[in-house]
Order: sequence, then structure tokens, then C-alpha cells
Amino acid sequence: MRVAWAAALLASVVSACARAPAPGAADARWFGSVTPPRANVLRFNNGAEPETIDPGVMSGQADGRIATLLFEGLTTPDPRTLAPRPGQAYRWEISPDGLVYTFHLRPGLLWSDGEPVTAGDFVYAWRRVLSPVTASRAAGTLYPLANAEAFNRGVLHDSTQVGVRASDDSTLVVTLRTPTAYFLFLTSSFTLLPVPRHAIERGGVAWTEPGRIVVNGPFMLTRHVASEVMDFAKNPRYWDAAHVLLDGVVAYAIDDLNTSTNLYKAGELDWNPSGGIPAPFIPYLRHYADYVTGEFQATYFYGVNTTRKPFDDVHARRALDLAIDREAIARDLLRGTRRAWGRITPDGYAGYTGPAGMRFDPEAARRELALAGFPDGRGFPRFTILFNTSEDHRRIAEAVQEMWRRTLHVPVELENQDWASYMDAVTNLRYAVARRSWIGDYLDPNAFLEPLRSGDGNNRTGWSDPRYDALLRDASHELDASRRFKLLARAESLAVEQAPFLPIYHYSTHELIKPYVRGLYHTALDLHPLTHVWIDRAWRSAPLAAEAASR
Amino acid sequence: MRALVVRRLLLFVPTLWAIATLTFFLVRLAPGGPFQSERDIPKSARAQLMRLYGLDRPLGQQYGRFLWNAAHGDLGPSYKYPQRQVRDIVAEGVRVSAELGAWSLLVALLVGIPAGVIAAVRRNGVADHASMALSLAGVSIPAFVLGPALVLVFALGLYWLPPALWNGPASRVLPVITLASAYVAYVARLTRAGMIEALSQDFVRTARAKGLPEHVVVLRHALPLGILPVVTFLGPAAARIVMGSIVVEQIFAIPGLGRQLVNAAFNRDYTLVLGAVLFYAAALMALNLAAELLYARLDPRVEAA
Repeated sequence: MRVAWAAALLASVVSACARAPAPGAADARWFGSVTPPRANVLRFNNGAEPETIDPGVMSGQADGRIATLLFEGLTTPDPRTLAPRPGQAYRWEISPDGLVYTFHLRPGLLWSDGEPVTAGDFVYAWRRVLSPVTASRAAGTLYPLANAEAFNRGVLHDSTQVGVRASDDSTLVVTLRTPTAYFLFLTSSFTLLPVPRHAIERGGVAWTEPGRIVVNGPFMLTRHVASEVMDFAKNPRYWDAAHVLLDGVVAYAIDDLNTSTNLYKAGELDWNPSGGIPAPFIPYLRHYADYVTGEFQATYFYGVNTTRKPFDDVHARRALDLAIDREAIARDLLRGTRRAWGRITPDGYAGYTGPAGMRFDPEAARRELALAGFPDGRGFPRFTILFNTSEDHRRIAEAVQEMWRRTLHVPVELENQDWASYMDAVTNLRYAVARRSWIGDYLDPNAFLEPLRSGDGNNRTGWSDPRYDALLRDASHELDASRRFKLLARAESLAVEQAPFLPIYHYSTHELIKPYVRGLYHTALDLHPLTHVWIDRAWRSAPLAAEAASR
Repeated sequence: MRALVVRRLLLFVPTLWAIATLTFFLVRLAPGGPFQSERDIPKSARAQLMRLYGLDRPLGQQYGRFLWNAAHGDLGPSYKYPQRQVRDIVAEGVRVSAELGAWSLLVALLVGIPAGVIAAVRRNGVADHASMALSLAGVSIPAFVLGPALVLVFALGLYWLPPALWNGPASRVLPVITLASAYVAYVARLTRAGMIEALSQDFVRTARAKGLPEHVVVLRHALPLGILPVVTFLGPAAARIVMGSIVVEQIFAIPGLGRQLVNAAFNRDYTLVLGAVLFYAAALMALNLAAELLYARLDPRVEAA
């Protein structure tokens, strides 16, 4: 083979300057090389080129990972539990009615250019997000603030009416419209991060470029090659710099999952985050000790367009719901990489008990179909399952199609579209049944129940039920946690029973973390604060079991 | 010669206009738009974004504004990456794709031309059959098979070379070989055919009759004529190769223009699609013209005709 011969020749020429074979490559416990990087840095694949690294206007996960390296909010999430911990604020008080939060900033906080970080910077950042001129796609995260929604929608023009003000340079007073149990968690989300007014006014749209960007977080941006890599160095002016053990971070923008996994195996990446492993690899990777998996607060479901006949009838929707054999999909199709799931909210909210959820029951499904006026599927109009192009979505759609045909004898077709076309169809209710998924923004069942409210922009099924809306409204005013959860559980029961969403599975995360990376854990929202991560060169001698078990 | 160049350059303008117009309307025919997301976008934000990019105006007005700006070299900001100009994204992508392409083309020529010459000179011999069989394999094995196979052996098996990324000389080796292999094959086959034809010409027989050594006959007299098919092939090949190979860029995570263009189409990044397509069209025409000029240089008969 000439090609192989040329490759061998060129390779041998280059191998002189290339690195030596990785010593850990032969260790069967680990997937590939386990040689730590020469520099004291963490190298990971961010999965995509961030659309922007301006926290105020960003909306995607790749963007958010970068934002939390560069900026720190009032609170910062615990690296394991994600519970809010003091960040730029070192303490806070909450009024008895749960509406007023007073945050006290740490003394001596500095931006990376030496300017002081003040409460005014937070006021500026939050008003900026809400200002209609900014066109922030994530502005909704700030809607719990009093008057925030009205100001963002352009109904209210005076930004000082929004519920955030600085009573002095180190005190921020936030007023909410309703008590929001998860508000503290939101203060660490990228939309609520402070931004440097002086740098933005000086730099214009280009203020986030390396050399111009001014930050208050643990790392600074030193280099950015678009669609390739971003380099970060430790920020010496970060208040907790003494406990930042990495000298830097390298974030690659690799969109190909095979390539990302290859780079991890070759020891060019220390962390291949969830979403970076091709699905067919997962059953094979399960046997390696550096494969980390856990529950992810996200669900996969089919949305039903309830504005279309016959799906405006709850019995027709329930018939479809009861005829899905979720266990078979999770076990046989997904080979146990996901859990079968029959309700709206995912697992793992301490104190919350959701309804039992939908079960596969062919007899009940046929009864419901008869109640809808289609005994044994007779006369049921032909309809289509819409999904965005992906091998996994196709396989699931084919399985569901077969289940509905076999159990209900209804004519089902499949249609796949590219992402933008699919989004367009789902948003504008131009579908019958569509594959969907939802990822929690915060650790509260409300994150999954809110989208089903009447007219919510994320509802996208046309489903509307005043009883459901009332339960959610009551819950939002309820201060007692257990009573609030009971109201939410009643709302969820109603939604499961009415079946605008047909749940299928519960997501999990699948990531690869080299054994020498310490302080990086699986979390329920797939968020990974990197502030206190470190590279352990003596990892082989240190007890690893405790670390691995806690991941 | 000058008339040819002027004629061609004048043709560039209407061709680019036609391509720009077609692309402008075709990308808008695709369902969906640039500002879509799994999470609902506040109405005020969507309206502001549409206003910001002029998408709230009538299509005719958008088209006019686009043409006017494009004629002035302003392609506007990308929709997906609002802080970056299309011009910069295309320029950065081209730089990388062009480097990858230039190395691949160089490898293709350095390996392909000698292989073709040897095959032609030792026609029907073992070397001929071997090199033609190999070049058949080179054309037949697609990059998405060869690339991962090379990665498997040299990056994940032997740990000699990085499996992807674009930093340092070692990272160039596998993508360049992957991209070059198909071109090696083409170049070898074209050279062989051209050389066989050239070696049967009268002037070659004359050169031999003068008693010139065989290597002089082959390299000095026959080769300039023999590689003409390669030169013709080089114009469009160079354009294609410079524009970037989506497959190779994807496999090796190389930030080239090919990847940008495909992603831009999926993202409905109208301005970036237009910028990349216009650049590609211009590059294709310019490189074809260059090939034509080079061709005239090598074969005096062309100018007369």
C-alpha cells in the first residue's frame, strides 16, 4: 500500500519529535493514556465554539461553561451537590416573607484590571440582561425579580423599577415578585453573573476579546482561536486565588464525538464531558474506571400537539402514552444506558415525591382508544412522529411506531428533519407528535413543570388547563417547602394524567475523567465548577477509591 | 493573453452576482431561521434581534442592502457568533484550510508525479501495475475510512502522532496524508496517461535519435507535455482543496472553512453561508484562470487556439 508506506515513513520521521508511548496505555483499568499533562492545566472539550462569552447575552451550555470560568456570581455552586455557597457575596439575609434578599459582598473584591467589584456592577449587569435593547435570550432567568418581566417586555420603561438596587457599594438588595425557593441557586447561573461596566463601555461588542476582557472569576482568557481552542490562566486578583490550584485551563471546541473520545484516549484531553462520547461506545466504556456516569436532570419525551384532532381528546393521548413500552426501549434499545421514565419531573429532588408515572398497559391503552371513539384503531387518522435527524432518535421513533401499530392498530409515520426545520415545526405547532427533551435549569421540580403552564413559550403542545395553572400559582406563593412540593406534585399528577407530554426516558450523564484529575464530580445538572480542580501527579499512590466512589 | 484575462475578469462580476442572488434566496427558503432554540426566547429579544440584523424588513430591501454591502466588501456579522464579522471567520477558516490544502497538494504532486512517470516509462511492467493498483485504492478509499484508520494505528495504537487538533507539525501529518491520498491517485493516473502520450510524440523520438540519455528525454522533453493533464486538474482541485474538506476537518477537529460552511448552513447563519459561498465561487474562478494561464505557458499551442 503506497498510502500506508508513505504514512509509515512520514510517521517515523515525525515520531522523533513526537511524544513517547504513554506508559499507562497498557493499564486495562483506564481508557487510554493516564499520563498527566506536562503543564499544570486541565484540558477539556467544550463541545462547540461558544456563540458568545458575554454572560449577559449567552444561552448555550458551551457558552455557560466558559462564563463560569471567567466570572463569579453572588453565590457559587458546590462542586458535588450544586447547593449555593458564598461566592462574591459572603453572607445574605432573606426577609420572612421570602421576597427580599440582601447580599453582602466580600470586602476588597477586584476585577482582573484592579477596579473594585461593587454592588452597582450587579445592578448594571442584571438591568443590562433585562433591557430589551440587549436582546438576551436568557432574560427569563431574571423574571423572578419584581417588575423584571414587564421591563424586559417593554411594558415598563424605567429600569430603576426592577427589583434590584445597591444600597451601598457592598450591599445588593433584591426584591422578588413571588417567593422563589430556588432563587439563591439562580444567583450562580451565567445570566446573573456580574459584568464590568467600565470594560464594556470601553470595548463595545469586542469587549470579550483576549486582552480586553475584564473578569472577576478564577480564570482569565489569554488566547482564543475560534472553532479551535480557548486558553485560560489563573486570575491572581480572584479573591480565593490561594485555593485555585490549576495554573490554567484549555477548552477545545471539538464537535465530533469520535474525535473528542480519541483525543481523550490519546491523553490530549483530561476530561471528556457528557455529550462527548458517541452513544454506541457507552456500553463498551462502562468497564473502565475513568468512565463516570450518574443521573442527569433531564427527560426525553414525545410532545403531542393538543390543538390537532384527534389529540385534543385526552383519551387519544392517554392511549398513545399507555402503549409505549418504556422498559423495552431503555433495556433493549439503549442497552441500559438510560432509565425508563413515566413522569414529567426527573428523579432526585430532596423532599419531593412525584406521581407514580405512566406504565405500559396495552389493555388500558385500547380502552382509552375506544373511549376516544376509535375502537381497535378503526378510523384513526394517519399521523407522523417528528424528530430531529439522529440515529438514536430514529431507533426510538421506529420502536414507538411499532408499539403503537401493534397495540393500537393506528397508522403512524416517521419524519426526520434537520435541527432548524424541526425547531421551526415544533415551535409553531406544525406537527402531530414530536420528539422533545427538557433539561432542568435549577434543582427544583418547578424547572420541569413551569414549561407546561398555559401559553408558556416552552409548552409547544398547545395544552392548557386552568387547574394546572392555579396549582403552579399557589405553589409559587407557598413559603412552606413541604406544602409547596405537595402542590407541585398535584400539578404533576394532573399533567401525567392529561398526557400532553409522553415521557420515555430519564437522561444520565456519561463522561470520561482521567484518574489524575481531582475535584471534578458528576452533578445532577451536568454543571462543573472548575475553580478547585487540580492535577494530582502522585495519583497512583494516593487512595483513589474514596474519590471514585464519590463521583 | 491579456484579452483572455480581461474577458475572464469581466465574467467574474455577473457570475458572482448570480451566485450571491441564488444563495441569498435559497438559504431563506430553508425552514426555520437563525434565532431558534430549544428554550423559548422572549418575544422582545427575538424582535430586537430581527431588527438588529434587518430581518424585519421586506425581503427585497434585505436583498438590496446585502448586495450593496457585499459590493463594498462588508458581509456583516455572523448570526450565530454575533460578536464576529463574517469576513474574519472566512479569513481565519481559509488560512487553515489553505495550509492543509497546500501541504496535501504538495504531497500529492511529490508522490503522484514520480509514480506516474515511473509507471509510464515501465509501462505494463510490475512498477506500473503496482502503482496503478495502489492509486486505484487511493481513489476508492474515502477520507472517512482512511482518516480514522490512520488515527487508530498511529495515534491510538502506537501513540506516535496526535489523533486530532491543529497545533504543531506533528498534528499536520495524519490530516495531510488523509486528504492527499485521493489526489495522489489522480495525479499519478493523469501523469501516466499524459506521459504515455508524450513519449509517443515525434519530438521525443527525435530527442532519442539525437542520442540523448533516456532520463533527459523523459524529464526534459516529455515531462512538460506529459503533466499538462495534471495542470488542468490542478485548478479546480486547488480550489476544492483550499476551500477545505469537511470530512477531514471534522475527523481531525481542524478549524477550517469547510466545517464552518456546513455548520453555518445547519445553523441558518445566513450571512456566514453567503460569505463562504461567495468566497468559494471567487476562489474557484480565480484558480481556474490561473491554471489556464499556466497551461498556456507549458503548451504554446494553446495561445494560438
